[in-house]
Amino acid sequence: MPQFFLNKRLIILLVSIIILVALIGFSLKDRENLTWPEQFLKDTTGFIQNAVSSPVNYVAGFFENVEDLQNTYKENKDLKTRLDELARLESEVQRLKKDNTELREILDKKDSLSEFEPKQATVIGRNPDRWHEMLIINKGKNAGIEPNMAVITSKGLIGKVKSSNTFTSTVQLLSSMDPTNRISAKIQAGENNFFGLIEGYDKEKGLLLLKRIPYDAKVKKDQNVITSGLGGVFPESLPIGKVVDVVPDEFGLTQTAYVKPGADFYDIGHVMVVKRGALQPDLMEMVDEKEEEL
Amino acid sequence: MRRFLLPLILLAIFIGESIFVQVTPHDLLGSGKISVPRFLMGALLLLTIFGSKKHGILYSLLFGLLFDIVYVEIIGIYLFLFPVIAFITTKLMRILHMNMAVASIIVLLGITLLEAGVYQMNLLIHHTDMAFAVFLSSRLLPTLILNAIFIIIAVYPFKRLSEKFADSLIE
Repeated sequence: MPQFFLNKRLIILLVSIIILVALIGFSLKDRENLTWPEQFLKDTTGFIQNAVSSPVNYVAGFFENVEDLQNTYKENKDLKTRLDELARLESEVQRLKKDNTELREILDKKDSLSEFEPKQATVIGRNPDRWHEMLIINKGKNAGIEPNMAVITSKGLIGKVKSSNTFTSTVQLLSSMDPTNRISAKIQAGENNFFGLIEGYDKEKGLLLLKRIPYDAKVKKDQNVITSGLGGVFPESLPIGKVVDVVPDEFGLTQTAYVKPGADFYDIGHVMVVKRGALQPDLMEMVDEKEEEL
Repeated sequence: MRRFLLPLILLAIFIGESIFVQVTPHDLLGSGKISVPRFLMGALLLLTIFGSKKHGILYSLLFGLLFDIVYVEIIGIYLFLFPVIAFITTKLMRILHMNMAVASIIVLLGITLLEAGVYQMNLLIHHTDMAFAVFLSSRLLPTLILNAIFIIIAVYPFKRLSEKFADSLIE
């Protein structure tokens, strides 16, 4: 026994494993904010990343432009065919928007779940280990960015803000597998909407999993999936993607839909952080006082 | 001055890894294959082998912590694995005669250990559900190929740099 305690290396190893487990446990728990040393380090490295990433993006952008130039002819042809359709759609949107505001005025209903104010940000870094898919963006608390806000590109939802520091924030992508990464979504199926939760990502197929759809919902291929705004943080009707396939879950009680994300999770240069217009309900307000006493 | 050159280069590699994943296409080595740049680990191990063992482990600890805080937001994974792998490398150095070829193989071995270790840890905390066979074929192999290319390019300059760094410590 004394010999065991004399083995210094073994003791060091054991102690470090205990510290390791404690640290992982500490960082895995649902924290509102990072501790100040973490925030300070993230801001400092963010400053360097910011300085480096703009020239790098400039050079990368140049090569991308050259590549784009090669496809211009074909793209132009495709776009021209769509242009006629667009004019019609635009006038319809205008009309519907006007209708909507008028009807809202009649009802005296001012805030809507779908209202939001976007904030532009540039991606300055990405987690290189590719297990936890995360981006670092160049806007933080003093630009009004707070944890759990939705992050979109022009093509659709890509994730949410995981943590925000003074000058930078971290975005967790939808493709990162984290048990706490859930987004309330709905499938637009004609007259009906079917609600579910985006939980997890199939890395091999590149598809999102939309789970907990009611078992009797008739979901078809190519139906649009958008955010429902019922999670309390995200605004309504941010596009997520399109349904590819529907399968019953393992117990047959609900269905799972495979959703092809509209946005590309890899080639991301600029993002918009979305602040919801409607108030976020406070959890304590929703809890009944009687329940609390229990 | 020379003493600060190496940490600065390590810092540049640390930030360079993130820029590398952002700029290069995600399916660099075939679709569905994930190739992870482990340049920082490679550089740290080369420093351990050719420079100073003590500083190799120390910098592994520091950069592991930095990596955890800045990129992963789970403190402990790289903080633990970087120094442990550097330590294992120092043990291997006693057995083997170090020239550049052997060193490159040792560094690749270290990167294999790192990938496997991170995979196991992520499996433990339910941040991945990848099967081991899938991990081997779609992650480990492309990662090793990518890093082998990096090591072939970097082994000589890093050997010189580390040796100069070791000399500057003696002065």
